Amino acid sequence: MKRGLIAIALALLAVSMVFAGGSTEAEDGQKTITVWAWDDNFNVAVMKEAAEVYAQVNPDSGVTINVESFSKEDVFVKLQTGLAGGGTAGLPDIVLLEDYVAGKYLNTFPGSFVDITDLFDFSQFLQFKVDAVSMDGRVYGLPFDTGAAALYYRLDLIEQAGYTEEDMQNLTWDEFIEIGKDVLDKTGIPMIVEIANNKTTLVRAIMQSCGEWYFDKNGDISITNNNALRAAMEILLEMRDSGILYEAESTEGRAAALNNGRVASVVNAPWFISSLRQAEDQSGLWRAARIPRIADIPESINASNVGGSSWYVLANSDVKDEAIEFLQTVWQGNTDFYDTIMLNQGAMGSYIPGYSTAVYDAEDSFFGGQKINALFAEILPEVIPVNYGGYVAEANDAITTALANLFAGRTDIDGALAQADAQLHNQLGR
Amino acid sequence: MIGRKKAGPSYNKYGWAFISIAFALYLMFTIYPAVASLKLSFESFQAGKYSFAGLANYKRMFGDAIFFQSLKNTFLYMIIQVPVMLFMALIIATLLNSTALRMKGFFRTSIFLPCVTSLVAYSILFKMMFSLDGIVNMVLMKLGILDAPYQYLQDSTWARAIVIIAMLWRWTGYNVIFYLAALQNIPKETFEAAKVDGANAVQTFFKITVPQLKPIILLTAIMSTNGTLQLFDETMNITQGGPANSTLTISQYIYNQSFVYAPNFGYASAISYVVVFLMIILAILQFSVAGKKD
Repeated sequence: MKRGLIAIALALLAVSMVFAGGSTEAEDGQKTITVWAWDDNFNVAVMKEAAEVYAQVNPDSGVTINVESFSKEDVFVKLQTGLAGGGTAGLPDIVLLEDYVAGKYLNTFPGSFVDITDLFDFSQFLQFKVDAVSMDGRVYGLPFDTGAAALYYRLDLIEQAGYTEEDMQNLTWDEFIEIGKDVLDKTGIPMIVEIANNKTTLVRAIMQSCGEWYFDKNGDISITNNNALRAAMEILLEMRDSGILYEAESTEGRAAALNNGRVASVVNAPWFISSLRQAEDQSGLWRAARIPRIADIPESINASNVGGSSWYVLANSDVKDEAIEFLQTVWQGNTDFYDTIMLNQGAMGSYIPGYSTAVYDAEDSFFGGQKINALFAEILPEVIPVNYGGYVAEANDAITTALANLFAGRTDIDGALAQADAQLHNQLGR
Repeated sequence: MIGRKKAGPSYNKYGWAFISIAFALYLMFTIYPAVASLKLSFESFQAGKYSFAGLANYKRMFGDAIFFQSLKNTFLYMIIQVPVMLFMALIIATLLNSTALRMKGFFRTSIFLPCVTSLVAYSILFKMMFSLDGIVNMVLMKLGILDAPYQYLQDSTWARAIVIIAMLWRWTGYNVIFYLAALQNIPKETFEAAKVDGANAVQTFFKITVPQLKPIILLTAIMSTNGTLQLFDETMNITQGGPANSTLTISQYIYNQSFVYAPNFGYASAISYVVVFLMIILAILQFSVAGKKD
């Protein structure tokens, strides 16, 4: 009989460690840096590109870079169990972590990641990214990609409702909802898509556009008195009630709805473009704009961020010096490298000098010749840094539950906020 | 005593040698984790260190609304799914055992087939069937029962129902096998006697079959109860615990506490031990209700 999942999990972990392997040193002095990442077409490919660049720049380094690809959840879970178990067995030398989860690892496993504050010139990287990878003023992660929030919309549908590209610039959410109602009237197509059982992408985008978050600057829970969060809930509810919100069942359902022309817009990050591009017949119909702001909140701007990830070097790695040298060589100062990954993988980096190159002037035919990368480069420096903290998953779940109750009519916004606040306090043991 | 001595030291030695490997593995992978997780349930994990926390983890549970919600959900699955499944399994087993039935092999295989499917695969299959453009919506719309596709998995009642339906499909055949095996051991004379006395099929079922299957019904009830209390794959894949935690099971909550949220292995272990405790209580209850000697 199974005595609790932990026992099984530990047993599985023991088995997986045998197969996972760690950094190894071959007999000829060749050292291997093991990197964990999760998307073969994106961050894995980017890191492989970085490895090639490093081999060219520094052919005598005696270092091989081995990029291992897992699912994102596996990277997080394997790292979590590996660190919790102690030691270095089965752990990589460099790991990619989402900025939203990084705080959890930095809080829970202090000393497990190399403090790189003095090893890079972080003034060259986006401030909000540096804040996201820091704890107590020390920097632990090298900022990689950003989730510059953009509003992707179907220009043809907007035009059918009598609006132009001009009308979609620097909107407020109230204006956006009005346009959405007209689009629904004229075309019968809902304005915006969000995932039914997890509407936190919009919530997070709206919160950060106001410089707010689930937690305040001190890391204390900020739910009931969070005006941006309240406004996000009001916006979602109003969009649902007016019929302009399309609730997709899953991430796949969301992509399908967009690709099949069942919805007119979406708020998401630069990497989402690859999902939009799946519908080749819609080429030229799409445009990107800054996300709307909240009129009633003076701090609110037409710029935000959703997601993004960064590289971390593990403190117990036996090749950490080599790993840091590799990151310094390729990821700092080499704008050609940033150009390559922008062109090949669409990776919107965090390295500011990288934004001034010709790649950002490229016109994208899928977006009717719009200079889409230039738009991201324009948005990113404006993004307000917030303290993501170590409990984003807990907060997302609390908000998701509260929103489900709100949408089902079981509570009002005050009730939903109070519920989420209570759940989060309980989860954090505060 | 003398006889045993004669069988000799070598008899004992080989005996122990043969079971030692299995026993060592059992010690390592079952006993040790069980004891270690009990110890873990009294510890808290903060800033990379474990420290003794006394009963703090157990106390926390009493104020944890999500824990109670997951407990409630799990018991709801158990109270509805286990009796329905066992009753269906009994009926199917009786039908399959009937002498009048032809192509027994085919039917027995068909009924058992769901049990060989992977938990994750069948869960995803049920999720697809009840999705917006899934077969259920398609059929209902073709028949004119629905005008627009319905999001079953966003409705807490439906989401729970789908989890239960999926489990019925997956596990009923498993229990049928137990009943079929047990039915072979029921003396045919008892059925013949019932027939002679003029009992109809329903009377035979309740008065002859069920009483004689009592020990095996008890076994399957305890196994199913344990299985349901540990339910994880189905809800994880079909609903991920949503909407609003209405399908969250205890096991999934334990998983969340360990791997999704900031790791709280101590609290997760404490919840696991509460589940163990509940299983023991339920087993004792079932024994005392059903296990009485006539």
